[in-house]
Amino acid sequence: MNIRLATAGDLLGMQACNLQNLPENYTLRYYLYHAMTWPSLSYVAEDSKGRVVGYILAKMEEDAAEKNEPPHGHVTSISVLRSYRRLGLAKKLMLLSQEAMATIYKAEYVSLHVRKSNRAAIGLYRDTLGFEVHGVEAKYYADGEDALAMRLSLKET
Amino acid sequence: MALSSKRALPAKETALFKSLLQLYETRQYKKALKVADQILKKAPKHGETTSMKGLVLTNLNRKEEGIQLVKAGITLDIDSHICWHVFGIVHKADRNYEEALKCYLQALKFDKDNINILRDSAQLQVQLRQYEPLQETRLALLKLRPNVRLGWVGLTVAYHLNNKLSEARTVLQQYLKTVKGVPDYDFEFSELLTYYVTLTEETGDYADALQLLESYAKDRSIVDKSAILTIKARLLQKLGRSNEAAEAYDCLLVQSPESFEYYQGYFLAKGIDLENISDETRPKALELFQALSEALPKATSPRRLALDIASGDIFRSMAGAYLQTGLVRGVPSLFSDVKALYRDTNKQDVIGELVLHFSSRLAEYDPTTYVWSLYFLAQHHSHVSPTKPETALHFINTALEHTPTLPELYMIKARILKRCGDPIGASQTMEDARMLDFQDRFLNTKSAKYLLRDGLIEQANSVLGLFTKKDAPSPGADLEEMQSLLYLLEEGRAYRSVGKLSLALKRYRAVEKTFSDFEDDQYDFHSYCLRRHTLNAYHGLLRFEDTLRSHPAYVESALAAAEIYIRIYDGGAKVIGAATSQANEDKEAAPAAPVDDDPDGLKLLNAKKPLEEATKLVRPLEELLPLDIRVWTTSFDLALRRGKYLQAIRALRAIQNVRADDPELHYRVVLLKTSPASTSLSDRSRVVLAKALDGLTPPDVPLEELNTLFLQKNPGSAAAAFSYCRSLWVIKGQAVISDVEESLLQLARPEIQLSIEVALGALEFLQNVANSARSEEFRQAMVKRFPLSTVFKTESEKASIRTDLQAKPPPPEEPGHE
Repeated sequence: MNIRLATAGDLLGMQACNLQNLPENYTLRYYLYHAMTWPSLSYVAEDSKGRVVGYILAKMEEDAAEKNEPPHGHVTSISVLRSYRRLGLAKKLMLLSQEAMATIYKAEYVSLHVRKSNRAAIGLYRDTLGFEVHGVEAKYYADGEDALAMRLSLKET
Repeated sequence: MALSSKRALPAKETALFKSLLQLYETRQYKKALKVADQILKKAPKHGETTSMKGLVLTNLNRKEEGIQLVKAGITLDIDSHICWHVFGIVHKADRNYEEALKCYLQALKFDKDNINILRDSAQLQVQLRQYEPLQETRLALLKLRPNVRLGWVGLTVAYHLNNKLSEARTVLQQYLKTVKGVPDYDFEFSELLTYYVTLTEETGDYADALQLLESYAKDRSIVDKSAILTIKARLLQKLGRSNEAAEAYDCLLVQSPESFEYYQGYFLAKGIDLENISDETRPKALELFQALSEALPKATSPRRLALDIASGDIFRSMAGAYLQTGLVRGVPSLFSDVKALYRDTNKQDVIGELVLHFSSRLAEYDPTTYVWSLYFLAQHHSHVSPTKPETALHFINTALEHTPTLPELYMIKARILKRCGDPIGASQTMEDARMLDFQDRFLNTKSAKYLLRDGLIEQANSVLGLFTKKDAPSPGADLEEMQSLLYLLEEGRAYRSVGKLSLALKRYRAVEKTFSDFEDDQYDFHSYCLRRHTLNAYHGLLRFEDTLRSHPAYVESALAAAEIYIRIYDGGAKVIGAATSQANEDKEAAPAAPVDDDPDGLKLLNAKKPLEEATKLVRPLEELLPLDIRVWTTSFDLALRRGKYLQAIRALRAIQNVRADDPELHYRVVLLKTSPASTSLSDRSRVVLAKALDGLTPPDVPLEELNTLFLQKNPGSAAAAFSYCRSLWVIKGQAVISDVEESLLQLARPEIQLSIEVALGALEFLQNVANSARSEEFRQAMVKRFPLSTVFKTESEKASIRTDLQAKPPPPEEPGHE
């Protein structure tokens, strides 16, 4: 699979991939906002026909300074189509994005939210990608479910 | 100005008018309305207040009334920039960008230096891709406010879009000279400098571009190291400094070892074009890939890309290793990964043999890998002979007997069944996959899609509802809001297949609406990206939007909608429309909050100008996809009905350029030549038409003979035979019914390459166009010809197949073995 930086032309493919895979979905505008604000942080994996089979949609936390937090990145969404698993794509996408967060924006860590009930995703983030649970955000999701706030330190990289 | 007396207000009202403007700006519409009324009490004929009141009303859900007032305001004070500006804003809110721009330009006539109106105009000009005027507007803005940094960047981008690269470069250069005191690690400034480098590259000054890049890299004013290296590698290669370029690509590959672009760059720098490998370059290329595999042990790409160029025994051994790794790891996408190699039939055979060999050895000592190899073989055989699924089914059934808990196996089985014309078995099998892992939305989506393909629309929606928002009016409403093109297309297709054309059309129009939204989405970014300096990303956005409608989802929906509009025009949909309108009356219940004034799409079905609607949908595709035959056949079908013969001929010529012996082309040439309207043309028009037809068909051959010639030239092709039959029917009608029937029945012969699609088309033709007494005979022949298919069965047969399948026990419930 070809893995490369996402451009505007990839956003519809990312959106389609997200809709097929995950319960948290966004309109194209939100993807555009990411790509036009942090053009170096989102990546895609594509098959030989150029179809997006995995992606990471990422950003920098904009209010970090106001909240007295160090600069840090945030993964808005990451997923790989079920039929493209076991290739380590999620890990490879994640590594590219976190490297960019650290070198371009001096991010100290990267955060993400995950549904408390989504064991498969939590496993991926913790065991494969090295995230740790940082806290619980009560009723983070529209349907009232709690989110786990997870973090991965970028300091040693 | 004689009129200005009309505009002048007493002191108190002047102050009130100012506060009216302010209240509008701060969106305090109710207060604004009060103030407007207060002014109008004193000065009822005040145009600007009237306009403003109208604008406020449009924001208070009183749109019609508001627009009336906006227009009245202009009549009262036709020289007021405020009145025209307001009218522009109203148009813009309606996404009527062209009219909005006209109003803004009108407003500028009376207030030529109004910064806000100039800025808004610039934004509209980009949205409308009017780059020449955009440049003028940006120039005017910069002259008015040379101290605003955005002005410089804006003019640069305008020049760039207008293809005046050296002017763009000069403006940006001048601006950069004035910039001082940029903080360290300023990403936005870094982006601007990167843009400056790539702009310089675009002017062809590679040496200058490289020099700039290196100095910005050195003083760390460009902070994106991977961008620096990517541009540097490219520039070095363009400058002929291949060794250094290769080094740069080498560094990039270490960071990003799965990027095909970097591999291509690396090899080009080494003098090898991966797209164009020769016997001379092959050994060197393989050697380089070998070295890269060792240097980047975690990367898959060097080993995979090497398979593209390897041949003979080397291919066999490399493919063996590659496949074995994938099978042992249980990579589900292994087949789709290597499928691209099948363009070379030797490679296809070798891969088939290799995996078969593995599977026979593995059965005893590595059961997991054994199952994955059966899974691979099933896909391999389904791909190699899609309409003869027995071998593929044998492999997948063996795998399923071995491991009945792996959803992937069911997914492949479902796809094999779908391909051989059994949507019933396919949807049931995909449901089996979903049952094994309810938590997985991917399986959920697949299953819903297969249910829709099977025409089970309600069931599909309840499956989809397991993952859509609970507070949405319906699963479909959530998916439409989230812009799921897959859902809209598949449901449109499902409705079309069950004959509910109004609802099908509604879904296809929703796709169109979604694409219009995508087009509108760029609007705010015209100014946002200037502020953020993310200009390379922005140019990518414009390119994406310019070709937006070439997206497969748009193409499919536009063509399908056009086909329905054509059926409406031809009169076929009237009956269906009446039938559903009754169903609609049954549902008297009050609709939920967001009122859909056409829930069943009946208004769409009663479109006054269906052909014009369809033409609007298809027109953009003619330019975007000039090589797509489906686009041109639809364009032709529309043009012919609209009496636009030259357009019809243009469409046929476009097909001819792609594939001169295309069966759909032949049929349409016949349609055109026999079109009753074309024979009623004036003599002059007929001469023009005959001339235009020149080259499309030989002029003096009678149509019937032409038709026979076409058939003789394409022996063995079912699509050609079907085209011949339809053409014959058009030329001679009922008189040739037995010839047509006989020819179509011949399609069942085993030596004919017949697809299910053509067979279904032929059946439909016999049943509904020719009203043939032998349709049933044809149907039964197809049942025999495609023994595993269900699409040719009668409705009652289908129903009983479905009942039997549902009676079968579901797969075991333990979670899939991972």
